[in-house]
Amino acid sequence: MFTQQNRKSRQLLASGIKSTYDDELYPTRLNFYREPPPLEISIEEFEQFALDRMQVLQALLTAQMRNLTPEQLDKAVGEAIKKYMPMSPNTKGSSATHRQLMEERRKDHISHFILRLAYSRSQELRSWFLRAECALFRYRFEKEMLKDQLEFLEKQNLSWKKVSDEDKRLLREKLKASSFKAGNIDEETYFEVDFERVAGLVGRRQVYIQAGKAFVRLSDQVVLVLDEFKERLSHALEVTGRALPRMDEDDRLMPVLNNINKQYLGREFTTSAIAGEIQAGDVDSLKVHMPLCMEHLHDELRREKHTRHGGRMQYGLFLKGIGLSLEQALLFWQMAFEKLTPDQFNKQYAYNVRHSYGMEGKRTDYTPYSCKSIIMNNAPGPGDHHGCPFRHFSAPNLRAQLAAHNVDEFDTDDIIHKVQQRHYQIACTRYYEVTRAKMVGISAENVKGGLSDSTAGMIASQEVIEHPNQFFEQSYLLMKSKNGETGDGTSSAAGAGAAGGMDGLIASAPLDATVRGRYTYKKAGASISSNVQHDIDM
Amino acid sequence: MSDMDIDHDPSEAQATVEAGQPENQAEKDELEHLFDMDDDSEFMKEVNNPWMPSSKPSGLSSNADDIAGDIHQQLMLYYRHFFPFKPFFQWLNYDPSAKPSKSFLNREICWTLMDDTFIRFQSYRNIDELKQDMVRLNPAKFDLGAIYNIRPKDRHMVRPAAFIPVSKEMVFDIDMTDYDEIRTCCSGADVCKKCWEFMTVAMKIIDVAMRDDFGFKHILWVYSGRRGIHCWIADERARKLNNEQRKAIVSYMEVIKGGTQQGKKVKLPNVLHPSLARSYETVDHHFRNIAFESQEILTKPENWEKMLSVIPDEDVQAQIRRQWESAPTRAPALKWNELKDIIGEEIAEHPGKRQLLENIPRDIMFQYTYPRLDDKVSININHLLKSPFCIHPKTGRVCVPIQIEHCEDFDPMSPPTVPKLVQELNEYDTTHPSPSEGEAKLQDWQKTSLREHVEYFEKFLKGLSREIREKKRVDGASSKSLDF
Repeated sequence: MFTQQNRKSRQLLASGIKSTYDDELYPTRLNFYREPPPLEISIEEFEQFALDRMQVLQALLTAQMRNLTPEQLDKAVGEAIKKYMPMSPNTKGSSATHRQLMEERRKDHISHFILRLAYSRSQELRSWFLRAECALFRYRFEKEMLKDQLEFLEKQNLSWKKVSDEDKRLLREKLKASSFKAGNIDEETYFEVDFERVAGLVGRRQVYIQAGKAFVRLSDQVVLVLDEFKERLSHALEVTGRALPRMDEDDRLMPVLNNINKQYLGREFTTSAIAGEIQAGDVDSLKVHMPLCMEHLHDELRREKHTRHGGRMQYGLFLKGIGLSLEQALLFWQMAFEKLTPDQFNKQYAYNVRHSYGMEGKRTDYTPYSCKSIIMNNAPGPGDHHGCPFRHFSAPNLRAQLAAHNVDEFDTDDIIHKVQQRHYQIACTRYYEVTRAKMVGISAENVKGGLSDSTAGMIASQEVIEHPNQFFEQSYLLMKSKNGETGDGTSSAAGAGAAGGMDGLIASAPLDATVRGRYTYKKAGASISSNVQHDIDM
Repeated sequence: MSDMDIDHDPSEAQATVEAGQPENQAEKDELEHLFDMDDDSEFMKEVNNPWMPSSKPSGLSSNADDIAGDIHQQLMLYYRHFFPFKPFFQWLNYDPSAKPSKSFLNREICWTLMDDTFIRFQSYRNIDELKQDMVRLNPAKFDLGAIYNIRPKDRHMVRPAAFIPVSKEMVFDIDMTDYDEIRTCCSGADVCKKCWEFMTVAMKIIDVAMRDDFGFKHILWVYSGRRGIHCWIADERARKLNNEQRKAIVSYMEVIKGGTQQGKKVKLPNVLHPSLARSYETVDHHFRNIAFESQEILTKPENWEKMLSVIPDEDVQAQIRRQWESAPTRAPALKWNELKDIIGEEIAEHPGKRQLLENIPRDIMFQYTYPRLDDKVSININHLLKSPFCIHPKTGRVCVPIQIEHCEDFDPMSPPTVPKLVQELNEYDTTHPSPSEGEAKLQDWQKTSLREHVEYFEKFLKGLSREIREKKRVDGASSKSLDF
């Protein structure tokens, strides 16, 4: 038990609350976490609770990242919740006893507050935690029975103005046109709130707004609830963050807390400290290993002698990730923008290149964009070439691209089909399998079947492509191992261009070390989400 | 001068601005855009310098000869004689009193000097100080940034994370280059009466949405000086929006999406949201003129091929192409009807294609008419935007407000240039003897064609200050009642 000596930290965690838990404390599974948990807990529980909650949050965020269908997502998240932090409903038929119910909710309550402490230290941690907790709250709210939802909301004293029947009649047509889900307007309850509070609905054009007021359906209320939840938690995190220095003297909790928040900030590709082995002149020959998005950016850069901002960021950071040093990057971009004088280049672009290497401004060492970020953020506009080809190309253009990479019609249809189901990363994975199989000279079926042949196994065992640099590194390692196998350093089945490019690279030992080092790092980070992996329909 | 940061790139400031606690990676990335260095066309080709007597500016060359002489001297004249400091201060101050408020004191001003040096995070204690610097630095242009929690000049006195942008007008930036793929009359930096219609449509659609949907009242449209327009929404509620809410408004307005590789850039549901249904009326009103007449979309095969590529069915594309090629000189209106008919027939024959094809004509109309926004400028509260009443460094024109009530009549070639203002001033002074004692002395801008533009700006300010005064009164009353 952590008792007397840790009064200070306990006060942060629990400040003068009554010492029993009962119905009044946890009437439903949902919790706004307004009050700190009232009880003393042991240091073992402290760490275990926190880690269990992390598992759930991590599973949820990972699942959301993957473009899963709602059913797949439900399954993935449901498993994690069941394993690490089950939360039984109030339903009578539930097998959980009352005591169990309260124990579960107590754990939920306590673990939330521990993580709040662990994640309040920096803005980056706070915003990660805020995102994760909002996702979890939303997930649970939507799972809750309507009766419990209403009971929960009633207790929160949220003051939302109901739209009168009269107004509803007047606005009937507009309300109907504002949501394809709208049923019978007369039976639906609408709330009138400032549009600022339902930014998400406004951005998706799923709510009617007039003179700054948004008319929100009861069934969209989760947005409002979430907004409240987010606002309060965000505020609470700031307050906790400010109070945190007082805890620094506590030598029992701080190591635990620091350990927790270091563990899971998502998987990111970072450039290793020894990056800088690739020369500007190598980039063209490395093109064979690039995913379609980067290859396209590269080709357009060569064609236009220029790339707009979005493309420079996406491609530049990718190159940084595969080991292009700042110096070489500056050289690469300056040579690529051949229409500019060195002076123009230095004035307009050099700064941004240095900036993305963390050498200017805030000195943030930017990491390459993940597939998720490329697919979800900053969609390309007119004149842009960045983005994800599977997401942002029209079907005919994507077909043309695939044809140019010798993807046959059967596989193309398969890929397009996946795109239509919005499985962009899976489409990219399929593209990887098909094209890499050709590169090493085995049939894609073998790849899928996972034959004992080590090369085929290598392609097949790879995960869904989640990161352009993962694509590159897998492709690179694959070719390396294949070439190692044949012994002569040249794959007979690989295309002439590919083989030519490989020769020089394989010889470059330092590069290989770089790649392998980072690959291992990524693998380690991936283990946490492995239980979700096989839910993806391949 | 001592506390001034001079850097050969605007993004120096990103250092501090970024420390304004980006919420996530995406937002961080977007901060990269604080300054739009993507004015590509300018770096892709040599732009003539209109300030040199020997050269003409690309496009808009009708009165290039007027813009002669030494640029430094012209800007100097403009800042000394014509720039409307008083109303400008009144705007930035957001307070009817003459005493500088936080809105003015904590506002970032960014100067861009003639040699492309950017000086970010400047702030001033009063309008005279600002004027002094403007005249001394003689900038090519200047931008307005956000209003921060402390004076931007004092930002080094706090840790970076404690320097936070708190408010700014909600802004829109619409640039003609984003229309290049559908524009056939001009390209790049050029602009003419024909393609200006795109800007007219954009103003109409955005203005009414901001007023009717979001309830904003104090909206100022400003000509960017060459090929675009800026919109400043100054309502208190608009100034207080956070990035997320700004983003929501942008994506509420945004319809044209997708890069060069995406043919069809408009994806809208069968039933249009009431706001879009209203916009569609404007689209409908202008589409014919744009596509049939001014942009000649349906007159030339190379233009209509682009339109056909929007149709997500190659069979239908081919049918229409055959029809049009059989009589290429047929009137565009007839061709448009043929397109609609062929699509209609295809749906009748293959009901399975209804969903795919039904709304194609409508979506084409949107793609060829609806506003294209530069979303980065709107979304980030700390993004810079060129101030109204600057001189556009390439064309020499004053960035004047556009009267939204008469936006159809606005001619991008009409705003005055410095030489024109000087000429008008001289003419005025020779025809009007100096005022006698006791008579009000006119400001120099009042003697020129800048007058109508400044007066329109003052009208906008009047509405704003009426509201601010009203709010002060209410606040005062309620705070009094709390006073016991």
